[in-house]
Amino acid sequence: MSGRLAGRRILIAGAASGIGRETLSLFREEGANVAALDLRLDGAEQGFEADITDGAACRVAVAGAAEALGGLDGMVNCVGIDLEASLCDMSDADWDRVIAVNLTGAMILCQAVLPELRAAGGGTIVNLSSAAGLSPLSHRTAYCTSKAGLNMFGKCLALELGPENIRVNTVCPGAVDTPLFRSSYEDFQNAEERLSAIRARYAMRRVAQPSEIASAVLYLTSRESSYVTGSTLAVDGGRSFH
Amino acid sequence: MTARTALVTAGAGGIGAATVRHLLGLGMRVAAFDLDAEALAALPGGVLTCAVDGTDADAMADALAKLRTDLGSVDILFNNLGQSARDNSSRFDVSDEATWRFVLEISLLSTMRTTRSLVPDMVECGWGRIVNMSSDAAFAGDAGLVDYAAAKMGVIGFTRALAREVAASGVTVNAVAPGAIRTKAHDTLAPEILDRIKAATPAGFVGEPEDVAAAIGFLVSDGARFITGQTILIDGGRWML
Repeated sequence: MSGRLAGRRILIAGAASGIGRETLSLFREEGANVAALDLRLDGAEQGFEADITDGAACRVAVAGAAEALGGLDGMVNCVGIDLEASLCDMSDADWDRVIAVNLTGAMILCQAVLPELRAAGGGTIVNLSSAAGLSPLSHRTAYCTSKAGLNMFGKCLALELGPENIRVNTVCPGAVDTPLFRSSYEDFQNAEERLSAIRARYAMRRVAQPSEIASAVLYLTSRESSYVTGSTLAVDGGRSFH
Repeated sequence: MTARTALVTAGAGGIGAATVRHLLGLGMRVAAFDLDAEALAALPGGVLTCAVDGTDADAMADALAKLRTDLGSVDILFNNLGQSARDNSSRFDVSDEATWRFVLEISLLSTMRTTRSLVPDMVECGWGRIVNMSSDAAFAGDAGLVDYAAAKMGVIGFTRALAREVAASGVTVNAVAPGAIRTKAHDTLAPEILDRIKAATPAGFVGEPEDVAAAIGFLVSDGARFITGQTILIDGGRWML
């Protein structure tokens, strides 16, 4: 099998939709053996169903993926949820849920795959964060804070795992045409106006396609980025200028 | 589709030469400028070469005019030219203005001038890739390299502002910021300095020029069309942006 990920064994969390789904298909094209993990896979993809905020379930799923692929030497975490709410309208439970999925979930997932990466003699982790974790958006306190935390989590992990040949990097997309993003404007009466306002935030004046994010994930997972670790790469058409 | 055309300044050695080879491997038509004619001659056949002093504005203007005639247009520019004061590096309080001017000229102004010559064509044809050479020394603020750190942070400001200006034209502008990379300049460092660099690098080793070339290969690809105004550090985790 040829390709930029030939022979690699990679778990992709959040693989049922959006950036995760696109990454899964790109990684397959590049020769990787991939396992999908998501809350629900709806039969579209063989894989493992688990809530990444549930440590025990997550460990079972990761162990299953490692067994299916004969080990793991890479993981991509594309799991994330959004929340648009003003601070005074946000309940404790709303806040907790966003932090649990976007930040604590990433920690649980990374902790679960770590023994597998060590057993493989090294590997790569890419967490999907957001440009909203680099430069704030209004009425998204929980989301921006969770993603800023995820960015720092990636750096800490990179520092800790560098000596073990495990690279950890973070991709920060802007608006991407995914179900998660569409839910942020579609159901509103002024959907078109909201979408134009979103586009206007980007120097390129448009939202991204999932494939434009997957290509950055591929770079950070492949050998080509062998000296890159702890980086936070904005793929945001020019908004955060990180 | 016809092959993309690329210019690499300071393309004869180290990261420049590795990038020339990498872009050739991606099927591009590649030109290399360098002061060192002998080193240019050692590049693979098929590379369009020009021996020119990148800090000489008139000589560069002539070389770029000739290049545009030979290649038609330049789709990709890697502004690799730049250096520290090397043997003239010193603590700031005993440094002199002539040295600052040299470092800013070769590392920042030459990048701006070369880009100024080539960016209008890119905007006109609706596709272009510019990658500028920064350094993790700009972020880490290495002592004794005040002028170099200033120039390399200047490159990042230039990268961001230009990225915003040309973003809607299909032209992206990004920077790479290498850390310790095994090049000729690096080979002259004292062993104790090398040990200190390795100790400060989480990856625990010194990178190869190819590590930087691969990042450039990614940034100039179609796959990176939504990435602009960014800086990728290729430094084994010494500084995490």
